[in-house]
Amino acid sequence: MSVRVAGVLGRAHQTWRRSLQVRVVTITLVASSLLVGGFAFLIADKITTILLDSARSDVRQRVTSGASYAAKQVSFYGQPQEAQLQETIDGTVNYLAGGDPQQTSGVVVAITADDYPNDIQTRTSPSANVQPLISPELRAAIADGKVASQIRTGRLTDETTKYLVYGSPVPTRFGQIELYYLVPLGRQDVTAADARATVVATGVALVILLGLLAALVTRLVVNPVRVAARTAQRLSAGLLDQRMVVNGEDDLALLAASFNQMATNLQRQILRLEEMSRLQRRFTSDVSHELRTPLTTVRMAADLIFAERDEFDPAVARSAELLQAELDRFEELLTDLLEISRFDAGFAMLDSEPTDLVPVVHRVVDRLAGLAERVGVPIELDLPGTPVIAEVDPRRVERVLRNLVGNAVEHGEARPVLITLGIDETAVAITVRDHGVGLKVGEEKLVFNRFWRADPSRARQTGGTGLGLSISLEDARLHGGWLEAWGAPGQGAQFRLTLPARAGDRLTTSPLRLVPADATLPFGGPRDGNPRDGGSRDGGQLAIGPGTGGALAIGPAPAGDGQRTEVHS
Amino acid sequence: MRRPTLLGTFGVMVLLGAGCGIPAASDVRVDGKGGAATEAGVISRGSEPPTRTASGTLQEVFVRNFLSAAAGEPDRAYERVKAFVAPEDKIRLQDKKGSEVALNVVRLREAVYTPNRDLTTTVKITVQQIGVLRANGTLAPPVATETEYEFGLRSASFDGGVDDDRAGLYIIDPPNVLLLSDTALRQYYQDETIYFWSSDRTRLVPDQRYRPQAVPVERRVNEVVKWLVGGPSDWLRPGVVGLPDRTELINNATGGNGRWEVNLDMPSDDQNGIDQLITQIAWSLGDLPGQLELKIRNNAQPVVILGERRNSHALYPHAASPLRFGVYDGAIHPLDFEGEPSGTVPLAPEVNRNVVSASLGFAKDRRILAAMVVTGSKNRYRLAVGTGVEPVSVLSRSSTEYSSISRPVWLRMVDSRPGRGLVVADGQLYRFDETARMYQMPLNLPSGEVTAVAAALDGQRVALIAGGRLYVAAVNLDGGGVSIGPPRELVTSLTNPTAVDWGREDQLVVAGSVGQPALYEISVDGALETPLRTDLGAKVNHLTAYPSNRGVRAPSGAYMYEVNGVAYRSSPFERIEPSRVRGIAPVPAGVRQSNPSAPFFLY
Repeated sequence: MSVRVAGVLGRAHQTWRRSLQVRVVTITLVASSLLVGGFAFLIADKITTILLDSARSDVRQRVTSGASYAAKQVSFYGQPQEAQLQETIDGTVNYLAGGDPQQTSGVVVAITADDYPNDIQTRTSPSANVQPLISPELRAAIADGKVASQIRTGRLTDETTKYLVYGSPVPTRFGQIELYYLVPLGRQDVTAADARATVVATGVALVILLGLLAALVTRLVVNPVRVAARTAQRLSAGLLDQRMVVNGEDDLALLAASFNQMATNLQRQILRLEEMSRLQRRFTSDVSHELRTPLTTVRMAADLIFAERDEFDPAVARSAELLQAELDRFEELLTDLLEISRFDAGFAMLDSEPTDLVPVVHRVVDRLAGLAERVGVPIELDLPGTPVIAEVDPRRVERVLRNLVGNAVEHGEARPVLITLGIDETAVAITVRDHGVGLKVGEEKLVFNRFWRADPSRARQTGGTGLGLSISLEDARLHGGWLEAWGAPGQGAQFRLTLPARAGDRLTTSPLRLVPADATLPFGGPRDGNPRDGGSRDGGQLAIGPGTGGALAIGPAPAGDGQRTEVHS
Repeated sequence: MRRPTLLGTFGVMVLLGAGCGIPAASDVRVDGKGGAATEAGVISRGSEPPTRTASGTLQEVFVRNFLSAAAGEPDRAYERVKAFVAPEDKIRLQDKKGSEVALNVVRLREAVYTPNRDLTTTVKITVQQIGVLRANGTLAPPVATETEYEFGLRSASFDGGVDDDRAGLYIIDPPNVLLLSDTALRQYYQDETIYFWSSDRTRLVPDQRYRPQAVPVERRVNEVVKWLVGGPSDWLRPGVVGLPDRTELINNATGGNGRWEVNLDMPSDDQNGIDQLITQIAWSLGDLPGQLELKIRNNAQPVVILGERRNSHALYPHAASPLRFGVYDGAIHPLDFEGEPSGTVPLAPEVNRNVVSASLGFAKDRRILAAMVVTGSKNRYRLAVGTGVEPVSVLSRSSTEYSSISRPVWLRMVDSRPGRGLVVADGQLYRFDETARMYQMPLNLPSGEVTAVAAALDGQRVALIAGGRLYVAAVNLDGGGVSIGPPRELVTSLTNPTAVDWGREDQLVVAGSVGQPALYEISVDGALETPLRTDLGAKVNHLTAYPSNRGVRAPSGAYMYEVNGVAYRSSPFERIEPSRVRGIAPVPAGVRQSNPSAPFFLY
């Protein structure tokens, strides 16, 4: 039961939140109910008051004239014991009641003598027991010489009715007797009930009408808005030729027309940008391909020259060596450019397989051991003793790691580089920590830019192409993972690669922290102890990767498209 | 969508249900002070009979008080009388209620007190039953025939021994009727004259009522209207009409400070009848000033000022101040008294002859109605009648001669119908018309011989003396005839009445005997008697009076009579000397001057 109620409430709440129409109609109904209810109350109350007042004044008049009549009638009698007094009272009561006991208007007239209970008997016409209807308070008020009234419910004749009991003292020569009129309020009651029913019916009808009206009006307004929303959704989903129907010349038509105008402009702009982007990528790809062929020829020639360098004089031999080295770099650059252009063209394919990442790390370290030794940077490893299995593309992961470790060694400043491998239920992470010059504020984002350099004037020591981190970022993204950077001047830098343990899963946390434990924060505030959200709170350590597609750069990306555009660095 | 709608509707319902509608009970709402209290205190009351202990142990006074005890409002008459009766004997006096309460009015002749051994006293009273005073104020003819009542007296003190002044006395073994002495009737009741329309609705006829003086004067209007609603006295019924059947007084007639309100439930709404009713009430209220608002079933009629109404609707329109005439030497002559108007004989001299007695009257348009007893042949008499404007010169004579004819009387009418009169001839009552034709009137009386007749000023009532008894009867003048209703005998102290006339509207002047010839004024029901003269010396054989009434100021001498051939007048009482007779030749010295006889009033 309570589950059902909770379900109904939940649905109602959902409906309330989602439907503007429901809200408007509800508010209209509630407000108009209160207003109409208030008015209905006032009107019904007024009607009742008027009915009662007129009955009161009517009866009051009768009571006043009746009392003066009775006073005249009994004015002959100087003592309550007089014989004809009772007879006179009988006659007076009958007369005041209309004379004919058969003719019943329901009004009961009574004369009592509370002060002389032994001498004068209470008389009523038509005969009825009125005592229960005359309350002691009313008696007291009338005994005090006041004309007073009270509404009482009781049974005098056949049925229980509300009575307006009006009493007046009747002065006599020997004291005071009391005249009461008991007037049934049945007619007034029925009239009041009728009026009430009419008012309620009118009010309810009015409220319902207002609700319908509100629903209609809201519908008139909300429908185009809904259409606009739907159209906007479709537009954002890429259906750029969606347009709204323009009807008439009103505000909504203006909205639709403006919307359509906007959509048209956007579509044109997007198409232009897409075309430009496509041309650029094509150009890069084409240039790379076109360069490869002459390069192969140059290479073969250079290889020949290089092989024969011992036969040349030392200056020429040195040139052959330089040619060989620069050709290597050129080839690398071309490879990277091709790789980038593949990413840009969307041709990059992930070749996932369950892979133990520990050997991958060892392989990378081994390959870079020579370079490290040359620059004097020791590489330290912090790897778990068990295999770290994840569904990844080992070639790409290795490339990323090679890139990261290579960078770390290159910028290591002869201080150790620490590689840490972490895993939890959903993700694996690898951090690469160096203790070089570190990154300035804002550079965490820039490091992933193509051909970006921390210090443009600094000569390149190693043969980096300037595209390594960009490619690494694309690789991480292709896995649905994160590649993030942290750095502080003088404290070195740390890069973290986080990948889902199973291909296609969404990442929520990383097993390792982005900010190294030995780093000092500039403001001494709380550290980012919860790196999984790694987000806006650590603004300084957050970098947004460059957009890869023109379409994605202009609007909010639809959730769940599998491709993260926001990359934590 | 559903929830808020329901909520709103519910809210409206709650508001309406809770706040509106006539509540089942409310607080007392005071509108202010009630009507101003009427002046408190005791109502002005007339005298009421003394209580039981007022007499102490004086037996005579106690018995007198006992015979007064019933006086007052009839509702409590039994209560008042029972206060005189010893507690153990109260049960012997059986209560009657409402209109059945009747008081036996008696004239106390003698009371004999016989002390007994057991310290009680037996009282034997001899009474004359005068009539029955009913709850409606009429004194009806007596029903009881007892002439004696016997009851006991005992001391009210507890030890039963010594008489205690404060404890007073008790009646033991009381008679099972309410007795009221005539003196108590006179003392504790106010006689009132109310009026009913004659059966032809031409004039108002007085009717006698008794209002207890215990009833406050404020209730006088109420009592009078109740009497009117109740209808006329029984004996008057043949000559008058009451209010329409089923006429009822709605509650009390109220008022004060010169304004009175009478609400009647009357089946007829004939405006003429209502107007007559107002006149009837106005006259029945005596001299009461102020305004009268009559309502017929709550429909108010124009307010009438009582005095104006009485002025504009005279009771006796053609009755002027009376002029005195007498018969002198067989002719009618005016009688002159100082300070009184006197007129001329409205007869031509040639017909003013051989007159024994006469009755002259004014009818409408000052037409003279003249009826005379004239001498015929050999001590026999005829009735001669002449009518017309003054002077009347033609007389019609009755075809028959009678050995005796009493003084004729005219039945006075307010309209111009032919005059009609009554006369007694040879012991029979006759009516006569303007041509002196006489028709015998049958009377349903045990003893036949009628000796006198007198008509009241209203012409609807007559007094008769027949068989030595006094009667009154109503006259019905409907159509052309004259009929006389069942006569009602009046019980008086007078015996052998010889002459009667109407001295006032409700009083007769009767000549008779209380051991010796006497002249009494007797109320029309016989209850109230006032001796006028008890020293007449001889039988009155001619009596005439001018009925003092509310229309005309009474002259100083309201009645005149003839005893032993000598005429007298009243107030001042004196013999009517021949010098009073106008227009007679001086009598030569030595010749015994004859006396004026058969004096009468012309009005």
